[in-house]
Amino acid sequence: MRRSIAYPLVTLGAIVGSAAVVASPALAHGYVSAPPSRQALCASGAVKDCGQIQFEPQSVEAPKGQRSCNGGVAQWSVLADESRNWPAKAVGKNVTFTWVMTARHRTSNWEYFIGGKKVATVDGGNQQPDAVVTHTVDLSAFPGRQTVLAVWNIGDTVNAFYSCIDLNVGGGGGSTTPTTPPTTAPTKAPTTPPTSKPAPTTPAPAVPTTTAPAAPASGSWAAGVAYKTGDVVSYEGKKYKCRQAHSSIHSWEPSIYTLALWLPL
Amino acid sequence: MKRLVVAVSAVLLLSACGTAPQTQATQVTDAKAVVQAEGEHNDTDVMYLQMMVAHHEQGLEMVRLAEKSAKRDEVKTLAKAVDATQSDEVAMMKSWLTSWKQPTTVDHAPSAHADHGGLPATGPEEIAALRKAKGKAFETAFLNLFVAHQHNAVEMANLEAADGVNAEAKAFAERVKLSRTDQIKQMLTMINN
Repeated sequence: MRRSIAYPLVTLGAIVGSAAVVASPALAHGYVSAPPSRQALCASGAVKDCGQIQFEPQSVEAPKGQRSCNGGVAQWSVLADESRNWPAKAVGKNVTFTWVMTARHRTSNWEYFIGGKKVATVDGGNQQPDAVVTHTVDLSAFPGRQTVLAVWNIGDTVNAFYSCIDLNVGGGGGSTTPTTPPTTAPTKAPTTPPTSKPAPTTPAPAVPTTTAPAAPASGSWAAGVAYKTGDVVSYEGKKYKCRQAHSSIHSWEPSIYTLALWLPL
Repeated sequence: MKRLVVAVSAVLLLSACGTAPQTQATQVTDAKAVVQAEGEHNDTDVMYLQMMVAHHEQGLEMVRLAEKSAKRDEVKTLAKAVDATQSDEVAMMKSWLTSWKQPTTVDHAPSAHADHGGLPATGPEEIAALRKAKGKAFETAFLNLFVAHQHNAVEMANLEAADGVNAEAKAFAERVKLSRTDQIKQMLTMINN
């Protein structure tokens, strides 16, 4: 395999304050964004009802040496649930994995496993990684449906970060094909974000997607709609005109805080 | 903000910020003129806003590159909408800091704040590399980098939610959390389409 990196290595002198970092829970770390890891599929909404992991896909942290998709952490057990029929991304034989790093810990190495067998190791040199790291791994010996466990071993803590990526190797580039159609509905898990202090004034509408439906000629504001400049919506009894095209998301409803998007009429 | 001259009714003002009955009769020209972060504030509120001003300004650099260099319309549209909303947010945060008689800049780069939430994803090197990327590689680099950037915004919002005291600043942090989480959702879909 070869290693390719999207950005020059960062050579800041700063030491990552790992001792201080553990004091706060949601301090972040990293996961595989492409091909989509299971936590990325949860965070993008492609797989529903994942629970809290959808809001913090970067948080699958556990002691080094784990070999399960959730790192053995009960809170993230959905990621190791094979009954979820995780969609497998069709890829070629050389697969480029992209890690998104939200805290750039000094890195011992990255390891890739299939079925408990190590298929690649990339040395991290005990350096801080870049914000986005890519590795290209030759998976020609593993054709067909595979689950890759990608592990980021931290250099200055006992922990590692875990991501599982479901692939159809040699199935070509591009599209995502579920290997088996889901036969039963997945079990329900909480879908509301935690610690929502000031609750939104309206119930959370449907999840947004990038292929949002076009706005109706005139109607109530909703999340997940592709609004065009000039579209008119009603919201809480008032009318607003869209002044900047956007795909609507939570907290972008018309208000004093979103005058850049919505002009009161 | 400066391009905007509009009247906002008192009803909207009251429902939006719940303060300042004396603004009922005013003609509103922009949000920062009417949404004041009154009431008490603490060091966390100040640090959060100062860090977010710097973080937003980095984000604006990134989305302005994407407005020019992204290939897909959906990526450009997201970049423009983030540009519009975050520009207003920067103006609002600066007006709050000014009203608290605090500097609107941090004395060092956000990437030096390793003790306030891990080392953030975005540094000047990342933005410089993005500036050089071209074509499809640009879009992939932008989306992944901006996902990491917005994850950091959510993490900082969690710190403000836990330790801040100012009601307006905490409400702002909650809006950041909701909007950035949904932006990440959209971008992860764009990355894998």
